[in-house]
Amino acid sequence: MKNIAFGQYYPAHSPLHAMDARMKVILSVLYIVAAFLCKNVLAFGALLVSAAVLLILSRIPARIVLRSLRPLFFIMLFTAVLNLFFATGTSVLVSFWRITIYVEGVYSAVFMLVRIIVLIFGTSIFLTYTTTPIALTDAIESLLSPLRLIRFPAHEFAMMMSIALRFIPTLMEETSKIMNAQKARGVDFSSGGLVKRAKALVPILIPLIVSSVRRADELAMAMECRCYRGGKGRTKMKVSHLRIGDFAALACMIAFGATLLYLNHRGIGYTM
Amino acid sequence: MAVLTLEHVSYIYGEGTPFEIRALDDVSLSVREGTVTGIIGHTGSGKSTMVQLFNGLEKPTAGRVLLDGKDIWAEPKKMRDIRFRVGLVMQYPEYQLFEETIRADIAFGPRNMGLTEEEISRRTKEAAAFVGLEEALLDRSPFELSGGQKRRAAIAGIMAMRPEILVLDEPAAGLDPRGRDAILEGIRAYGKETGSTVIIVSHSMEDMAAYCDDIVVMAQAKVCLSGTRDEVFANAKRLTDVGLDVPQITHLMMKLRARGVAVPEGIYTVEAASAALRKLFGKGHTV
Ligand SMILES: Nc1ncnc2c1ncn2[C@@H]1O[C@H](COP(=O)(O)OP(=O)(O)OP(=O)(O)O)[C@@H](O)[C@H]1O
Ligand SMILES: [Mg+2]
Repeated sequence: MKNIAFGQYYPAHSPLHAMDARMKVILSVLYIVAAFLCKNVLAFGALLVSAAVLLILSRIPARIVLRSLRPLFFIMLFTAVLNLFFATGTSVLVSFWRITIYVEGVYSAVFMLVRIIVLIFGTSIFLTYTTTPIALTDAIESLLSPLRLIRFPAHEFAMMMSIALRFIPTLMEETSKIMNAQKARGVDFSSGGLVKRAKALVPILIPLIVSSVRRADELAMAMECRCYRGGKGRTKMKVSHLRIGDFAALACMIAFGATLLYLNHRGIGYTM
Repeated sequence: MAVLTLEHVSYIYGEGTPFEIRALDDVSLSVREGTVTGIIGHTGSGKSTMVQLFNGLEKPTAGRVLLDGKDIWAEPKKMRDIRFRVGLVMQYPEYQLFEETIRADIAFGPRNMGLTEEEISRRTKEAAAFVGLEEALLDRSPFELSGGQKRRAAIAGIMAMRPEILVLDEPAAGLDPRGRDAILEGIRAYGKETGSTVIIVSHSMEDMAAYCDDIVVMAQAKVCLSGTRDEVFANAKRLTDVGLDVPQITHLMMKLRARGVAVPEGIYTVEAASAALRKLFGKGHTV
């Protein structure tokens, strides 16, 4: 329960940590696009290299970032297996019983796997490991603010998001506290059939829901007491500015995308 | 005889991350059977962490926890039995109530032990009586009670399991003096009548002086002082050095000593102080 890496900011001094959060949001969107641009071995190779470069730039230990892949292990496995068995092509690799595996299937399984891993790697390095939740929501508010013209409540949206993010660790801590309290009274979460295990959740869920409602109520009251009235006319204490480095990073990302497009045309091996 | 022993126990939160916190650092202590032991220390000194090691909710990073001389982690499968023997009331236990009635909530632990209905209802009544919850309250919903009543219900929920060692993390935090005394009296009564060992975590030196036989003082993840109540208060200077309060009467005695009045060290009750002063100044004076 305690070592879940979700949304875990990793404090360090690195060029990525120093970047403006708005630029990081833009870059991670572009990076996702880049991951989908890749079509052949060369491009995917370049994608892997770029992920390694990001990791080095962020100065975060690889094992920490690798941990973020763990919860998605089954999705990755499932995707790979699906691609392996169901992709059709022209050159048969092996064929047994009613199953035929094509060379193309192997390629597309590996490509999909690389794509998913790099997507998680890239976005989590940009958005969670090197950006504090507060900076992130501020960035989203700022990026969404043009939408205010069509009456989209950008500030409220960002506030909701930051409250949600803020309370994830609190909720997890609360959950583990309540679990401990009920374990002390002999609840057993790890044995028995499905029904028994589901029943063991009742003593956890009820106190958790009760305390969440109470917490929400208290928070609303506290915000009210400090005269919170939404985003209108609200100014910021820390205003972040885009710097040269941020634009340089943007240029690098665009150049990277162009390189991928170029590599896509150097037809080596299978092309997706 | 020591029932519960910690041997060179350390505990680290978030090991291997940049948020690593050493909550316990090479702690050794033993708790005597049938006594009331108090654990006192500042916020963040590791008290709550320590009590969660007592019943195996957390596993020590290093060192051993012995119950009756046996390592509780020798057979992790049997941990549930350990938890019935070492009953832990966590900090702010009122937030863990969930049943429809107080009665059902108190009965939750005993039911998990697999006792007969008859035994369960007997123990529920008995535990409610220890903490001073009236019979009429037992059929109310936990969410209709006051904070102090909820606290009592939660403590009764552990007492009803009749643990050999009852551990309470700040049972009196945030209650008014009357509620505090009532709860602490109930806990003492439980220890006396069932012959159980009781361990109380507290911030209040006054409470410790009034209710505990032995006292363990924690400071910065270590045990800085431990022994019987007399031994610990004889070292009142050490307590104030680590920034803990001593009972007011002890404070007064320390001040008198500093001014050259030869009162003995280790006084923590008004009666003892009065006797000491009388001895010094003769019967003629009233103090
Ligand atoms: N779940 C947790 N994750 C990380 N660190 C924790 C956790 N629980 C406690 N700590 C840290 O461990 C240290 C000891 O905490 P602990 O709760 O044991 O203190 P305490 O003596 O009970 O304090 P208090 O009197 O405030 O209850 C503190 O520095 C605290 O920040
Ligand atoms: Mg505590």
